[in-house]
Amino acid sequence: MEPVEQQIQSDSTVTDRSSDQLATSPPIAPARPERRRTPRTWETPPTPVPPPRLDDYKSIVGTAEIDELKFLAGELKGRTVKMVNSTAVGGGVAEMLNQLVPLLNEVEVNTHWEVITGGNDFFEVTKAFHNALQGSEYNLTQQARDIFLMNNEQNRQRMQFSEDVIVIHDPQPAALLRARQESHQRWVWRCHIDLSSPSPEVWDFLRPFVEKYDAAIFSSQAFARRLPIPQYLLYPCIDPLSEKNKDIEDSFVQHVCDEFGIDRSRPIVTQVSRFDRAKDPVGVVQAFKQARKYVDCQLVLAGGGASDDPEGAAVLKEVKEAVGESPDIIILDLPPWCALEINALQRASTIIVQKSIREGFGLTVTEALWKGKPTIAGAVGGIPNQIIHKLTGALVHSVDGCAYQIRYLLTHPEFATQLGQNGHEHVKENFLMSTNVRRWLLLLRILIAGGAN
Amino acid sequence: MTTATVPIPTRTPVKPFYFNTSAHLQRITQQNANTLSEFLEALRHCPDGSIFQHSFRTLEEHHFIREGFSNDFAHWALSACNEPSLAEGLASVDVREFTSVADLRERFVQIVESFLQRSSPTTAGRAARETFYFCASDTVVIPTSFVAGTLQEFAEGLRGVTVHCIHHHFIEARLRLKLMSNDFSQWLYEDLGLTEAARQLNRIDIYTLTLEDVRNKIIRVVERALI
Repeated sequence: MEPVEQQIQSDSTVTDRSSDQLATSPPIAPARPERRRTPRTWETPPTPVPPPRLDDYKSIVGTAEIDELKFLAGELKGRTVKMVNSTAVGGGVAEMLNQLVPLLNEVEVNTHWEVITGGNDFFEVTKAFHNALQGSEYNLTQQARDIFLMNNEQNRQRMQFSEDVIVIHDPQPAALLRARQESHQRWVWRCHIDLSSPSPEVWDFLRPFVEKYDAAIFSSQAFARRLPIPQYLLYPCIDPLSEKNKDIEDSFVQHVCDEFGIDRSRPIVTQVSRFDRAKDPVGVVQAFKQARKYVDCQLVLAGGGASDDPEGAAVLKEVKEAVGESPDIIILDLPPWCALEINALQRASTIIVQKSIREGFGLTVTEALWKGKPTIAGAVGGIPNQIIHKLTGALVHSVDGCAYQIRYLLTHPEFATQLGQNGHEHVKENFLMSTNVRRWLLLLRILIAGGAN
Repeated sequence: MTTATVPIPTRTPVKPFYFNTSAHLQRITQQNANTLSEFLEALRHCPDGSIFQHSFRTLEEHHFIREGFSNDFAHWALSACNEPSLAEGLASVDVREFTSVADLRERFVQIVESFLQRSSPTTAGRAARETFYFCASDTVVIPTSFVAGTLQEFAEGLRGVTVHCIHHHFIEARLRLKLMSNDFSQWLYEDLGLTEAARQLNRIDIYTLTLEDVRNKIIRVVERALI
């Protein structure tokens, strides 16, 4: 029997989507799941939901927590902040700003968000910078420097910078700092990428700009550089109210499993990630096969990127070769707007794996922990910030280690449950949007309202 | 809740108890360690805020863990250096026994020095599996809406505040007070004369309980004092 590879098929596509409708009115589930090669899913992205308000988080983190946050904002009322990044849609930074900016405005910290503009040549250069700063080799030409500086200068002339605090996100607009004037104004560089081993050439080019900021912010201690300015740690976060993370009816979870041919009566091990070598999907298959010799389980590899990315397609091919004839491995190549289905798959899982060999912060780990799932993950990037080995999850360094942890957690359910509970609490304390707002308010207080006690 | 039926105490405090809380932002410092030797050096010279962050503060960040977690230094010694006896020594440091960060730092330094003296000469220079990054805590104290003018209001405040507030008054307080005590005990003792209740609070074990458990234990002591 061939592994089940399921991709979006237009013949069974639903275009009018309402997640609530789906969650409350599932089709009748078959008595026994049947593997479908053409699962029903959606061809177009769902309509975006309006951003949440602070009070919406009270049911999750408690009233006192939100009240504390409002007290924290008290001394910042009327202050102004400008966030600048390079894209209004797509990507984690835009997604985060879409939620953070309204929440800051709600507590009367007047926050504006502006997006820089540039031609294809500029964004090709910044894409190359992005990769080079994360370790890829790159030959920095004078032309690339000129394109970068010229586009930053054009944006500087177009934009106004009158706010109390200017927050520049990532390297693309870093040279806007030239707009800085001698005043009370504070400039902050928010770096969302891993700078632990950057291309020296590109970092040497950007460093003089970064050093002139008042502070820099990184997503993990491991991502920071030695700089003469204060550096703060602000973890990325997930929104517990989003499609990807909100509570959903179990009937919807069942519906998704039925559609994808997943048997909920048997243990389910899942990795959710793009078909990317950095996520080591082949290693996951190998670990699963080792563990499967001793414990009954299924593996779900749910990802995307194989249809529009040549490298993703090549990785998917490698994964299929590694899977071979294994009937218990289910590969799902999903479009990016299947957040609700991913949510359901994570909730249906017995164990979640994120066996990355390179990683940013690893928000799929955060999502798994939030759902109380015992999680096994590679000890790379920001993952050790989230997984404290044997306390909030299991950190692994190899295929063998991953296989052992799958076996161990499946055969020690009480321990696995405890890990899941601790993981959930860890996310609640440190990696939710409400905590992110708290940290931003703290940073603003420290920068403009007299510093820390 | 049964508080509505509890008799109101006759005693009134000399002054009300204002519930405050502290919010912390982690600053990444220049110090990091890839070996125990580097770790010892950084322990000696890191900012006070780093010692606070990796002991007092980390306990708050991981308040939901009942056992197996004491401080970041102990965790690194075990998970990255595979040195269980050093980890045990570091984990045994109880922050409640310290009223100054300088003394706490000295204790950690002594433990590492003593361990390295007992170990083989190669131990100090052996590469750890992961780097230890010293962070420091920048703290802002903020008020809450809870003020207690009576013991009953105190119990209600304890129920309503966040665990951060409990940590601020019950655990961090000793660094402010410079006493082996906490804000709650001090208020019960000094403003209400409840010596036994104040003493009982100081005997609550913060290392085998979550902060929610700690809160509940404090509330039980206060409720008993109400009767």
